[in-house]
Amino acid sequence: MLRRRNLLTTLLIVLPWALLLTLWHQYPATRYLILLRKETDENATAKARFNGTSPLREEGLPSCSWQQASGVAPKVIQNYVYSRPPPWSDTLPTIFVITPTYTRPVQKAELTRLANTFLHVQNLHWVVVEDSPRRTNLVSNLLEKAGLNFTHLNVESPQSLKMSGPWIPSHKPRGTLQRNLGLHWLRDSFNNTQPPEGVVYFADDDNTYSLELFEEMRYTRRVSVWPVAFAGGLRYESPIVSPAGKVVGWKVVFDPNRPFAIDMAGFAVSIRLILERPQATFKLEGIKGGYQESSLLKDLVTMDGLEPKAANCTKVLVWHTRTERPMLANEGKHGFSDLRMEV
Amino acid sequence: MKVKLKNVFVIYFLVSVIGLMYALLQLGQPCDCSQHLRSASDLMHGKDKKISQLLSEVKRLQARGKGPELEGQALPIIYAITPTYARLVQKAELVRISQTFLHVKNFHWIVVEDSPVKTQLVSELLAQSGLRFTHLHTETPKEHKRKESDPNWLKPRGVEQRNLALQWLRENRELSEEGVVYFADDDNTYSLRLFDEIRSTKRVSVWPVGLVGGLRFERPLVEKGRVVGFYTAWKPNRPFPMDMAGFAIALQLLLANREARFDLLAERGYLESSLLQSLVSIEELEPRADNCTKVLVWHTRSEKPKMKQEELLQKQGLGSDPSIEV
Repeated sequence: MLRRRNLLTTLLIVLPWALLLTLWHQYPATRYLILLRKETDENATAKARFNGTSPLREEGLPSCSWQQASGVAPKVIQNYVYSRPPPWSDTLPTIFVITPTYTRPVQKAELTRLANTFLHVQNLHWVVVEDSPRRTNLVSNLLEKAGLNFTHLNVESPQSLKMSGPWIPSHKPRGTLQRNLGLHWLRDSFNNTQPPEGVVYFADDDNTYSLELFEEMRYTRRVSVWPVAFAGGLRYESPIVSPAGKVVGWKVVFDPNRPFAIDMAGFAVSIRLILERPQATFKLEGIKGGYQESSLLKDLVTMDGLEPKAANCTKVLVWHTRTERPMLANEGKHGFSDLRMEV
Repeated sequence: MKVKLKNVFVIYFLVSVIGLMYALLQLGQPCDCSQHLRSASDLMHGKDKKISQLLSEVKRLQARGKGPELEGQALPIIYAITPTYARLVQKAELVRISQTFLHVKNFHWIVVEDSPVKTQLVSELLAQSGLRFTHLHTETPKEHKRKESDPNWLKPRGVEQRNLALQWLRENRELSEEGVVYFADDDNTYSLRLFDEIRSTKRVSVWPVGLVGGLRFERPLVEKGRVVGFYTAWKPNRPFPMDMAGFAIALQLLLANREARFDLLAERGYLESSLLQSLVSIEELEPRADNCTKVLVWHTRSEKPKMKQEELLQKQGLGSDPSIEV
């Protein structure tokens, strides 16, 4: 009789504490503390995601809702292939890469290999702007599966500028509206009084970028420049750098009188400068072929303000490759292959 | 009330239940976690510095050719055989596929140059790539080489190079080692998921290839998990009407059939068949990529860059600095 009573009392003592413990374990704030202490794989991913989304969160959103999301263990996909970018760092400047893109057969392939390249770069934020009235599923799915930090925008070019056919005369500026939208998004998302450390780079989807290039451009103070291979009908176009380390001219053949005789892939602008000069955009009207880059840069910097990179512009770290238009003759007029399969 | 043990217990129990009710009510309320966040961010700053230090360490080690042995899982090694030849876009092509390959675990890149010697460009690129690699070279005999002006389909390309790689594998690998061989041309585009599909090959696996054969994609036709035919518009009567990028072969199969190789004299489009017909039959093919319904590899080709200005300059003796490698 006494033994049973003892048991009952023990149970009555232990029960509430056991229930409290289970609740404590589920409570989000304390889960987060556990996250801090344990450095496991899952937690690293959760932290990266938490950190990766923080610069773009609006004010006023209760921070704990994000904690709820990262408190739940992320689904660990058993891939034998790395498809996560390196963890986000609070100390490295961010590289914002603006890529205009448009629908054509090689689009998915180009974006795939670009994503594979960008996955190696730390603190990279990819801004993809489609030349389209709506954001396409192809690009949305690709961006989500890639695992990169991204922003997906779209703006349609007016008919006169559209990449309608396979061939467009090279003097018509392409991707202008899209790049401008990317700049507009940056100016909207970031405060001019507290600009983040970072740099903006215009990366077309068919070029080839070495990983070294991104580290060269990361610490740009105003505008940095470097050589570009296969631009302007040459093996490479490059700025001419004086022994003192200043840009004094352009080693180009195609219209060397341009204020900035450089290819879109040959320069990067610091975020601070973009935010300081909100009127600096790529111009649409009256721009001759090859002058698009100048139309932006002249509002941002003068030639002596340029920072030469890539060992004083003696190394080629980016190639202006172009992909052949695939021969799809066997599709015929009415199509042959199943249109439901995404290519 | 007298201080009886029974009363102590009752009070204790009541306090616990009240505490429990309070905790239950606290669930789901927004909390003030700013203190946690601040200390958390301080901790993370420290961790970030450590991470960037470690990353640079890893990169340094990778540059010495040692791959990161992170998990030591016994994954079958994927051997990618890439024939390559010197042309303007060669470095760019190799750079971008090496960036894709860097994501693949247990990967071994076999690069075979169409050259009498190992060129400095490729040697340096491989050394800095951070990948495990083998660098071979063999020159295509003159009568089988195509000239710059010939269309790309005129003569089979990369045959001697791929055969040399197969020979190297046969001389340097044992039947006991698990591996899969894939022929990865340097101008194609590979998604990361493709390598998961390759890795599970038992004999010969196949999947669709995008932008090839004059179609949006070519693919094997699959019924009940078996390949029954091929969906292609160009020469569909080939024994294996597939592109080089559309199949992978288990290493053991190649080691067991030491005579299987590509036929230099094969007719246009029959190169793949010349190897596969001695290794496997259509019924034995393993379909991958969701029963061959997803495109995970694209047969992209790069344009030859226009060198009009360069040629003009070179005529004047003012060509670009050849010591700057492009």
